[in-house]
Amino acid sequence: MGLLRDWHYIEKAVEIPALSEVIRESLIRALFVRDDRLLPKDLIADLNRLPPVTVKVKDDSEVRKLVRVLNGEESTVSLGLSAEDYHFFRTQLGVGRTREFGVVVRPRTLLTYDWIVPEQRGVQLDFTAYAEIEFSEEAHRAIAQVGATWKQLYDAAPAKGHRVPFVPTVPLDFAVGDGVYGDAPFGAYRGEFGAYVNALRTISPFGHRARVGFEEVANNGTAYDLLHATLPLAGEFFLPVALALRLEAKPTARKTLTYTFDDGAKLSVALDKLTRSSTSPDWVHVTEAVAARTLRPSVAAEAFTAQISMSGTGTGLPAKEKALDTAMAGFKAKSPDVPNPFDAPADAYRKTADTVARSLFVGEVRLPAKALGDFLAKMRAFGDQSTAKAGAYASLRATGIVSTFPFFAAPKDRSKVYNLSKGVRAIASKVPGAAFTSRLAHLWEDEANFMRRMGFLRSLKLTIDTAHVAQPLVAP
Amino acid sequence: MASLDYAYRRLVNTLGPERVARSEFDRMVYSHDFASLPKVALLQWKLYPDFVALPQTTEEVAALVKLSDESLLQITPRGGGTGWCGGSVPNRGGVLIDMRKMNRVLALDSDGRTVTTEAGVTWKDLEDFVESKGFALPFVPTNAVGSTVGGAINSGSTGFGGLRGGRLRDVIANLEVVLPDGKLLTTAPNADAGGQLADLTSLFLGAEGTLGIITKATIRVVTKPETSKALVYAFPDLPGAARFLKAIVDSGLEPYHAMLADRDHFVFERALQPDSPEPADLALVGLRGSKDDVADTERTLDGLVAKEKGKRLAVEVAEQLWRERYNNYSARRLSRGLLTSYNLVPVGRLPEAVETAAKIRRRLKLNGSVQAYLVDTTTAALVPYVLMDDTRPSGGTALGFVKRMGDAAFKMDGHPMGLGLFLVFNLRKMHGRATTFISAVKAVFDPRKKINGGKTLEVWTKYPWPGVRAIPPQGMAVGLEIAAMLRRAKPTRDRFVRTYEQEKGS
Repeated sequence: MGLLRDWHYIEKAVEIPALSEVIRESLIRALFVRDDRLLPKDLIADLNRLPPVTVKVKDDSEVRKLVRVLNGEESTVSLGLSAEDYHFFRTQLGVGRTREFGVVVRPRTLLTYDWIVPEQRGVQLDFTAYAEIEFSEEAHRAIAQVGATWKQLYDAAPAKGHRVPFVPTVPLDFAVGDGVYGDAPFGAYRGEFGAYVNALRTISPFGHRARVGFEEVANNGTAYDLLHATLPLAGEFFLPVALALRLEAKPTARKTLTYTFDDGAKLSVALDKLTRSSTSPDWVHVTEAVAARTLRPSVAAEAFTAQISMSGTGTGLPAKEKALDTAMAGFKAKSPDVPNPFDAPADAYRKTADTVARSLFVGEVRLPAKALGDFLAKMRAFGDQSTAKAGAYASLRATGIVSTFPFFAAPKDRSKVYNLSKGVRAIASKVPGAAFTSRLAHLWEDEANFMRRMGFLRSLKLTIDTAHVAQPLVAP
Repeated sequence: MASLDYAYRRLVNTLGPERVARSEFDRMVYSHDFASLPKVALLQWKLYPDFVALPQTTEEVAALVKLSDESLLQITPRGGGTGWCGGSVPNRGGVLIDMRKMNRVLALDSDGRTVTTEAGVTWKDLEDFVESKGFALPFVPTNAVGSTVGGAINSGSTGFGGLRGGRLRDVIANLEVVLPDGKLLTTAPNADAGGQLADLTSLFLGAEGTLGIITKATIRVVTKPETSKALVYAFPDLPGAARFLKAIVDSGLEPYHAMLADRDHFVFERALQPDSPEPADLALVGLRGSKDDVADTERTLDGLVAKEKGKRLAVEVAEQLWRERYNNYSARRLSRGLLTSYNLVPVGRLPEAVETAAKIRRRLKLNGSVQAYLVDTTTAALVPYVLMDDTRPSGGTALGFVKRMGDAAFKMDGHPMGLGLFLVFNLRKMHGRATTFISAVKAVFDPRKKINGGKTLEVWTKYPWPGVRAIPPQGMAVGLEIAAMLRRAKPTRDRFVRTYEQEKGS
């Protein structure tokens, strides 16, 4: 989401070798915090400008038409606007001048922060009204329009005989599309969000409908797997309008178990042991005390809580529970009655999501499960030191990796975000096998292989989007 | 272009004489992959490489790639040669790089649960190594004995473990690739960044070696399961076995593997090995997990089988079939040649798919077998094979079967797998308007089309003259369709088993 534009902008700005080492990081900071002591006021004004026109999408043919207008294939007349809207559209966009117009999709819910270099001339698409979900009768598959919320999908699936395997690590009210043009952290114990996306229905930069991947089956042996290579950045290559999602069968029985721990080291050992066992739950969600209080205000929060959802046959569940108990040895208490955040009624879920969203999130730290306790302790100390109380939501993967989203009780001020991101990065860099990923982390990274890979992605974007329509790159 | 003798000297200087081959016999061996091709194909392509090079290190691979800037010879990377559509066969001669000398397992990181291996290691060897250290591979391709790590990645293989989260895409942590400019690229960060930080690994899955040469792979491993068990069931008919596989998915069960094979497969096996199981339409299920979990799944499976009037066979039969799970094509010995058609179809349409495959085979008067297995909760692989004798005039017409099967897969909302040299005409049918996006990838990585050029996206011929340098992919489709029509017009059915038994008797 705007990542290639940010990266390209920075790369262009530091192209002069003599300057690059000196100013790269300070430039990133100045751009991110809109520092008008370092950058010209005009530039700051430009960076603060948002797309002047927002289009609320109701049908994908509207997007096709719009793309054709913006790439110059058709004139604004073909949009069929009223005289007033026509005038507004043309003056706001400055149509008629030698300019490129881009399209940017507005995420429904942004977990962290917006991009450094916003789309300045063009149209912002709002997909909140494009939110139908179609479940397959024959297969465990759904086509969700990008504006449909994850909660809508999750709640509707069981009635059709399906189970949605992926859940958001941070329970916000994400749209399904936020997973491909936002920063929604969907995942399951068995795999990342990408493992459950069969295909994207997109509008190409030339206004054609193009399907990337295969809606009904997996994408194997069909030349390059562009879908999964571009998934987190799909909105920068084409305009995704719907996702074909791989679901699972609705289980005959399901249970959520809640284990509490008073010691981070014990939690880490238990999680590591779980991933080395033959037991395979649906998802494992970990919270420390601050996050637990936000999610479950009525339940007394322990230092660490691990909620585990498992499913299977009615006869098989007791055995699975026994195996879980063995793997999670060291827990202080266990309860089968604590509700999980995802099963709450839609209104209650949204209410909790609103509370969760008040915190300041900086990105994702992925680290080995056995290092989680230590990492959370360091985060807490860092939060105290920065006068921004820290907490974290995390989810476990079968690979032994925990996807952690630290947050802070602090105002969402850009310099605060920058400094806290920097601090989290410093802590993560000292954990062996850990990776910090965020839009800022991408800009800070300067490892040679990473730079080459980003270079390839940029070239690929420019080759696919020769019309410069889907979030076009800009240079300072 | 430099002379071939000069190119040979440069190759020998790089690798030494013992690792560069140019004899007629060596070149002939590398002129085909697992699919048997009629000799007529030599009219269109120079299938024999000019040289075969066997590098042992990444640096040697990089040197070979750089050398092609001087010699202007095409480079064709090759693993175990178990592909079925000519992805690892030259189309204009050149240098064929056989990766099987890069066959060392480099490191097992038990903390990070990954194994790093060179690309020429076969999956079976890798599996044996990993199991000897107390771990298991979450994914193993179906042709594990011959298929190399790099080869399976390049063909975007499917195989064992998919229902338990072990799809190839999910188990590759990162790759080391020699790019067409001779430089190295690691496709993802060393730490697990969950697909973030510009992870390009997916682009190389199914790329058929057209973007670069994979030299190393880091693959995720899992702890060895507490218990493993194989079960085999016989069904009154093949659609019944297919409905059983669908029921497994609908019940939310997660076996390690579930496959079916029709009775013809076991007829062939019996002809070759008298102690093979009694011919029947069978389903083989592999279970992994805790003892309780396996026992519970077993009970549920027995219930599902009863609904289809199937019956469970003896443990010994199950164990025998499980032991031989990677050796699926011994029937090749009956006919000298064999053609496989790999297709992915929706699980919901698997019963229809197996019937369609059998019908096409019957219509084309071919001997063969229908096999299928579950890939994930939406996808099943439909992998029928047919026997052929490419030394007979009618042999090549069997290729029409692959075309007809691919068309049937599209009709069932699935797709055939593999493009290579022979099936490029499927590209546009697969991707529709997104074909331009796919073609952009090659343009970015290999604008000069140095590595495995003229395949996957287009069909080059061996001729250098304008107008015939490449043919429209649709031309290949027409050729294969004509083959299918000729095959249909053939008055008699193939009888390889009878002939084999008569020859054996005599």
